Amino acid sequence: MFNLDQAISEWRRQMLATGVKAFDILDELESHLRENIDEQILAGSNPQQAFEIAVRRIGNPDALRVEFAKVGGGRWAFLRRLKTAFLRASLQSPSLSAFTDSARQTLELAAMEAPRLHHDFIGTEHVLLGMLQLENGVLPGVLKRMGLDRQDLRNQVEKWVEKWVGIPPSGRMSGRLPYTPRARKALFLAAREAKACHSPTVGPEHIFLGLLLEGDGVAGRVLKDLGLTAETARGEILKEPPKP
Amino acid sequence: MLNRELVAASTEPLILSLLSRGESYGYALIQEVKRISGDKIEWTDGMLYPVLHRMEREGWIASRWGEAENGRKRKYYSLKKDGKKALKDQRRQWVAVSGVFKQLWEEQYV
Repeated sequence: MFNLDQAISEWRRQMLATGVKAFDILDELESHLRENIDEQILAGSNPQQAFEIAVRRIGNPDALRVEFAKVGGGRWAFLRRLKTAFLRASLQSPSLSAFTDSARQTLELAAMEAPRLHHDFIGTEHVLLGMLQLENGVLPGVLKRMGLDRQDLRNQVEKWVEKWVGIPPSGRMSGRLPYTPRARKALFLAAREAKACHSPTVGPEHIFLGLLLEGDGVAGRVLKDLGLTAETARGEILKEPPKP
Repeated sequence: MLNRELVAASTEPLILSLLSRGESYGYALIQEVKRISGDKIEWTDGMLYPVLHRMEREGWIASRWGEAENGRKRKYYSLKKDGKKALKDQRRQWVAVSGVFKQLWEEQYV
């Protein structure tokens, strides 16, 4: 079965891999894509056809990247560069040293899940899959009490990923895989969540909350589909005494 | 169909002219141009966006994220003061060119 949301999210990744990286631009192009697809569906096309035509019409990702790269400069370029520099400094990714061993293990497992699924990036789905392999710590108990079976959850994620057959990965499978912006955002939110819970370190349970809070990635969507919210998960996590 | 150079040269004045009628968004701008030109001007959809972003950087247009009637996110663009000036200037040039052609080609038929 063709899944439009999944196809679009895969398309975004493809654009990202080509080098169209700004969130704002991707959001705008996605909005355009959806307008076009809606219109075609209204006119009687099936979603897959509509998607393929819309993607073709939006044009070659490489050519787009080149054009967007030319945009830089302009009158206020200096101020904008300053602003981004400031933002970067204040929004630095959480330092890895704040992550617990099991959190780091989660990320290592995520990095192994990606190639297994023939992906050349680490997305929220891989982080979730990695996390579900952990046997110890707070998370397994929390999941259980929320009525979630880990194997079941794994199957759900994999089903979601496999549903989409489309653009093959760009073949950049060696070396360190990049995190998608959504996965990065989830990790950033995880660190913020740990801080809010007065935890000095970031554990897998915080990453789990980060995935839920991020919400738009594959992991967030699968969890949301199961009726999970960040609030209930946070409540369950706070009930647990911290474990190493 | 217009040739590539002419499409490229006319994109900015077209966007400025369309936005002088009021706020709009990428997809609608493309549809408008297609409609008004009777399908003679067709932009590669994606290519409109770098142009919009460049014009925003020039300070000609402003953008804001808004919500469509169907709840979908849309980025709306509107003309700024400098954009109005730019439109006036570009319009003067296009009118000059088309005026010359008009005279030349009308003379042929006299």
